[in-house]
Amino acid sequence: MKPIVETKSLSKWYGNVLGLSDVTLQIEPGIIGILGPNGAGKSTFLKLITGQIKPNIGTVKVKGQQIRNNYHLFSIIGFCPERDFFYEEMTGWQFVTSLLKLHHFSPSEIGSRANKALEIVELVEDKDRIIRSYSRGMRQRLKFAQAIAHDPEIIVLDEPLSGLDPLGRRKIIHLIKSYKREGRTIIVSSHVLPEIEAMTKRIILIHQGKIFAQGDIHYIRDLIDTHPHIISIKCSNARQLASKFIEKDYILKVHFSSSNDSLLIETNNRDKLFSLLPSLFIENKIEVDEITSPDDNLQAVFDYLVGK
Amino acid sequence: MIQKDTGKLSFFLTSVKNIYSVFLSMGRRAKKTKIFFLFSFLPVVIAFIIKFNQIFSGRGKIHGFYIFSNLIVVFYLQFLILILALFFGTSVASEETEGQTLTYLATRPIPKSAIVLGKYSAYTTLVILMMSVGVLLSFLILNVNNLGNFSLYRILLRDVIVLALGIICYTAFFTFIGTFLKKSILVGLVFSFGWESVIQYFPGSTQRFSIVHYLKSLLPVPRTGRFSFLMFRLEPSPDGLAIFMLFLITAIFLGLACFLFSQKEYILED
Repeated sequence: MKPIVETKSLSKWYGNVLGLSDVTLQIEPGIIGILGPNGAGKSTFLKLITGQIKPNIGTVKVKGQQIRNNYHLFSIIGFCPERDFFYEEMTGWQFVTSLLKLHHFSPSEIGSRANKALEIVELVEDKDRIIRSYSRGMRQRLKFAQAIAHDPEIIVLDEPLSGLDPLGRRKIIHLIKSYKREGRTIIVSSHVLPEIEAMTKRIILIHQGKIFAQGDIHYIRDLIDTHPHIISIKCSNARQLASKFIEKDYILKVHFSSSNDSLLIETNNRDKLFSLLPSLFIENKIEVDEITSPDDNLQAVFDYLVGK
Repeated sequence: MIQKDTGKLSFFLTSVKNIYSVFLSMGRRAKKTKIFFLFSFLPVVIAFIIKFNQIFSGRGKIHGFYIFSNLIVVFYLQFLILILALFFGTSVASEETEGQTLTYLATRPIPKSAIVLGKYSAYTTLVILMMSVGVLLSFLILNVNNLGNFSLYRILLRDVIVLALGIICYTAFFTFIGTFLKKSILVGLVFSFGWESVIQYFPGSTQRFSIVHYLKSLLPVPRTGRFSFLMFRLEPSPDGLAIFMLFLITAIFLGLACFLFSQKEYILED
């Protein structure tokens, strides 16, 4: 399949700060997830492939053409920025129609496209309110609406699910998947693994400005599964519960909190532990207040993988 | 489908027109415009106070049109149009970078130079309208006893045209400043009330390095009376040359602004 986006030795630094280093890759149609902790270089990569910033070294081609200062390409690209900035004094309707106007559509087409985009993100009822009065979730949906309103072939989304409620997330994920079925290219970044997992199996892992790994999401899942996990359980009888874990070979460590009302369990098999927990709670009549996984985030995984 | 321009010029002009209409409409509603619109009424208030004082104090010897002409030079030419052009001109680029909204414009199928020209045209239109309303009201207030004298309207028209030329030229200069300097307002203030205020009084050809020299050359201002110092040492350029120079300065700085905005990399800060 012909790549839609191609980068060669792409590098970018801001003064002494490295943004991205020596990134060579090809992106084909479908959904590709750019995954990495905050500050990893995801936004820099997305800005480079949309020609918003210049690479210090390397090239970016979109559909075989250089992207920088090639404004024609933007008729087929939709970009949803991560940052929460708008023309605050505009209404949602004015914002979307104004940006559509810059795509040289006729007035009637602008109206119908804006309506469709706002309908998709469920902002039609609030379209005449000024953006300043929008909630975080509404602003996020409005950013998404302007990125899809002109029906682009390539959609670049920088953290599109941040600030959305669970229902809103589900809808956007569903929509992104429907774009994939239409044969479009969707490049989506996130620092939350389950978000990307819900959208695609193809991922690129970025860490400290470098491509750390790329390919099928199962690969990163396997890496994560070898990472010792810490589970915190806040319950009525922490010591009684702890005694049940000692004999299990996949439990590596057990710590108690100073107040004795919670315990931290370190395991190398999270799935086995989670399947054991319900029966343990029921058999021992333990009342559970909270189960959390303090290190279940990408930063912890990356720290582990790079051997910190 | 990638939109490839069949006629490059017509595509460019359509892009400018679209940016113009978006930002004219947005600029009209902007809080900044409302504040500056009120600010541009300052000379109207002054005109009203002067007239009120003349009527009720009985000291109405000074001709209304003489006061109006000086108001044009003192408040409009040397203060108001500079302030308006400075704040609107520098904001062409800086409001996009400081407000971090440049992303939305930079990812549209329009040349970056069209963004500069479209926004510049929209803001210049707004500033000219603001100035014209104020000038017209000031004129009517100060010449309320003499509104039947139609020769005054010809001079009023000339004043408005010269001030509009000043706005066109200054806004182009400040647009240029705004595209490459972070502290563009500060530099603009130094230029407006430093360079422009001083250089114009230099004898010989030095004064021709200021924009205000060409504007003053075109203005029908009385050279005598209390405010004659404002025309101190003015060695006016011929009308044709003054107009040519104002358009040349506008074209040069707009061209530079378009070039810089297209080539410069704006890193939007966190």
